[in-house]
Amino acid sequence: MIQLNGMTKRHGEVLAVDDLTFTVRPGLVTGFLGPNGAGKSTTMRMILGLDLPTSGTATVNGRLHQDLPHPLREVGSLLEAQAVHPRRTARKHLLYLAQTNDLPPARVDEVLDLVGLTDAADRPAGVFSLGMSQRLGIAAALLGDPPVLLLDEPVNGLDPEGVLWIRTLIRGLAAEGRTVLVSSHLMSEMALTADRLVVIGKGRLIAEAAIGEFTGNDGAVLVRTPESASFARRLELSGAHVRAGRDGELVVTGMTAPDMGRLAAAEGVPLFELTPRRTSLEEAFMELTRDSVEYGAAR
Amino acid sequence: MTVLGAEWTKFSSIRATMTLSLATVAASAALGFLFSNASARQYATATPQERLDFAPLDLGMRGLFVVQLLVAALGVLVASSEYGSGTMRASVAAVGGRGRLLAAKAGMTVLTALPVSVAGVWLMYVAGQTTLAAGGAPYVMPGDPAALRLLLLGPLVFTSLALFGLALGFLLRGTAPAVNVSTAFLLLPILSTASPAPVRDFISAYWPNMAAFQTVSGTSELPVWVGSGILVGFVAVMLIVAYVQFKNRDA
Repeated sequence: MIQLNGMTKRHGEVLAVDDLTFTVRPGLVTGFLGPNGAGKSTTMRMILGLDLPTSGTATVNGRLHQDLPHPLREVGSLLEAQAVHPRRTARKHLLYLAQTNDLPPARVDEVLDLVGLTDAADRPAGVFSLGMSQRLGIAAALLGDPPVLLLDEPVNGLDPEGVLWIRTLIRGLAAEGRTVLVSSHLMSEMALTADRLVVIGKGRLIAEAAIGEFTGNDGAVLVRTPESASFARRLELSGAHVRAGRDGELVVTGMTAPDMGRLAAAEGVPLFELTPRRTSLEEAFMELTRDSVEYGAAR
Repeated sequence: MTVLGAEWTKFSSIRATMTLSLATVAASAALGFLFSNASARQYATATPQERLDFAPLDLGMRGLFVVQLLVAALGVLVASSEYGSGTMRASVAAVGGRGRLLAAKAGMTVLTALPVSVAGVWLMYVAGQTTLAAGGAPYVMPGDPAALRLLLLGPLVFTSLALFGLALGFLLRGTAPAVNVSTAFLLLPILSTASPAPVRDFISAYWPNMAAFQTVSGTSELPVWVGSGILVGFVAVMLIVAYVQFKNRDA
């Protein structure tokens, strides 16, 4: 369980994280989503006691990170995959981390085996491919068999096989009852792995809900008709709200599709299309974060 | 203790730190030989007055001014190699309490710099004095009070300088800036010989590394405990400043 309470981080004039309060529950994969620069990594570093919050607190299993006697046994993390000394072997990297938390050296071999790096264990980490570095980072995160995991953009730069491996691993970790917080700027990736979503933009909480609540019918209906101007006026007289869609279709809210069909039939208006609109997770995300994208392309 | 063990794994698994340790010892012996060899030749052609002023211990140990830079760099690396590679975050996330991490690194610095300093100072002494003796110049036996003091306290002075390097590594978060600042600081007394006499004399007597070296080798008017105290106090302040900064900055 991770609890954030009013977490705020100010870098000079810039508010990187602005009063974030949310809870990450065990047994689920919680996607931590936001455009680049939204404050995801800063928030994760604050949970891990690396960045110091300007105000607010974050607790892991009820305690501040700095008060954990053996942090790796409580919370594992993957931040930057390259945070390994390039001349140090994978085994030595994991060994020193294990020693800090009084973990047996045999545990190093276990996690190396788990991520499939046994054969590369004695090679310097500097020669590792991105995929291998990511596996080493995952091995470090799992070293203390922690009930809480923080993974910052774990699939970034991986090939499809690596992506699938991480996805399966993450689902498995949550199924074992662990608390898993995974950040990403890709909604499509989260659609495949996450149970819940925490969406932030410009450091602020935008939405927090089960993934199903982000998709589905948003209540709008697309209507295509050759008599759009007059039918739009007719719909508005009946209390619906109408705006023009992208290709001349009408986007109607405030009235159900069957009612619109009956109205069109009664008025003798030919309809070419009448579709309740479904939003994909991707669209929902774009809609949610539209105002908080740092450098958006001109539309 | 476990965090200290982790520090040893880090230290011993990087070639730079191990190489620097061995290079420091080797350089000590080589410099002891080179400076003494030159001094022995000068002695052979010196005037009677020059022969009276001949100070075999000081001449044989002149290389300490170079070796101090290497020992300080060793301390720098214990902190800076983590900043350079980005593992400081992994270490802080793994250890939790930052005071514990800094204490472990200070312990690691002492445990590596002390043997290196003992080996370096003693080898330089042996190489220097035997070279002087072989060249027919006066030399100092280890039983001599000044030599004994240097052999026993010299390594402690060096170890303090390694801790000074460690503090700089934490404060400047990079090998290059920390080594540059440490080198400039430790060599300033030599560079200041061109400055006006009062300034020069003050620096020569009270600059932390000079105060300690001069009193330990018996060339200062200050008592040993004052000279060493200046260095120890200075290093303690540096470590406290490094700790406060380390605790209150983002890792």
